[in-house]
Amino acid sequence: MSPAPQFQPAEEMSLRIQELAGNLKIRDVMTRKVFAVTRTCTMHDVQAIMKSNAISGVPVVDDKHVIGLISVHDIMNAYEQGWLQDPVANHMTTGVRTLAEEQPLSFAMSAFSKFPYRRFPVVNRNNELTGMVTLRNINMALIQELSRQLDAIETASGRITPAATSENCIFYRIYRIARYDFESGGKASAELREQMQARGVDPKTIRRAAVACYELEINIIAHSYGGTLTLFIDRDRVRITANDFGPGIPDIEQAMTEGFSTASDWIRSQGFGAGMGLPNTKRLSDEFAIQSGVDMGTMVKAVVYLGSGE
Amino acid sequence: MRKLESLIEAMAAKPVHAPSGWESYEIKGVFASDLISDILITDGENVLLLTSLLSDQVLRAAAVIGAPAVVLVNRKHIPVALGKAAAKQGIPLFHTQLPKFESCVRLGCLMESV
Repeated sequence: MSPAPQFQPAEEMSLRIQELAGNLKIRDVMTRKVFAVTRTCTMHDVQAIMKSNAISGVPVVDDKHVIGLISVHDIMNAYEQGWLQDPVANHMTTGVRTLAEEQPLSFAMSAFSKFPYRRFPVVNRNNELTGMVTLRNINMALIQELSRQLDAIETASGRITPAATSENCIFYRIYRIARYDFESGGKASAELREQMQARGVDPKTIRRAAVACYELEINIIAHSYGGTLTLFIDRDRVRITANDFGPGIPDIEQAMTEGFSTASDWIRSQGFGAGMGLPNTKRLSDEFAIQSGVDMGTMVKAVVYLGSGE
Repeated sequence: MRKLESLIEAMAAKPVHAPSGWESYEIKGVFASDLISDILITDGENVLLLTSLLSDQVLRAAAVIGAPAVVLVNRKHIPVALGKAAAKQGIPLFHTQLPKFESCVRLGCLMESV
């Protein structure tokens, strides 16, 4: 694949963009109409497809599984070298990195900032090609979503009006969290606790939500390159969403096992790293979801119902 | 249920930050650990927290679980910054030179006595 200007690193984006990127899925923005070829097609076939459809990259598939990619750069090279009648299998880029359609858009943004590619094939749970995502797809989706919310944004402080997210929203805030910034760890959970106390929520529910929030804050601080944590409270629930920029979790099942930890000795010296963070968060939550992509990031959503007590 | 003052006296603990009225705080139980994750999974209300950790995060964790006070065990000197953090968060903070085990033994005897 041809090199591309790198996307702005995710951690430097505004909180609003980071939040949007955490809520949208890759499938929401990808191009579903994909022109793919099999390994026996010629470079000339691909060149014709590119020209007639105004596209600059064509995936090569074998039984719907992506095995390579042909870019404009590959076609130009084939033209110069006289390879246009060769099968694409001879000249395609192999080892293509794909994205999963269920992943948050933030994963795709991380991928564009970390790898010099202009497009990524998108696959479903069966690893079958279902779409393509480019920076243009991402930009268009973000612009549309931002436009939709523009009227609702009050200030750049991170607060938005309740109407922007839910008619019932009573508190909404996004926190930027930096790697190894233990000094700031717990600020979101402290504010969550205050907000819930002010609204007369029972102490056990407050404790569950505050601990879940704190665990997720510390996870970002201790185990990621940084990220955001979003608090949303409405009449029925508290929703805590943690998004980070990597390095991602290779084995989520293992990470959810009590006692498993990748913490360094220094992190352990701070009292953390017992391998209880994610299991504890899940235990305390009424709803829990986690997604992670290696080199792209991790997203955890925890919901605690108000009034649910134990 | 015991008054915080009696527990503090039992450990010969000294105040680092002691907001007015701390003496009469009601304590239902005691939990001792140097692992934040352990602290976070403690159950119960009005639990006095004992730890030898000197991190701000001990205070944050204490606030998260609603611990009424924190005692730093096996500590002769406490960083000034930690005292300031306790004052900022409004959490009573004490320290004792007794080791954690000895502190727990004394508090156990006290809590079980009529």
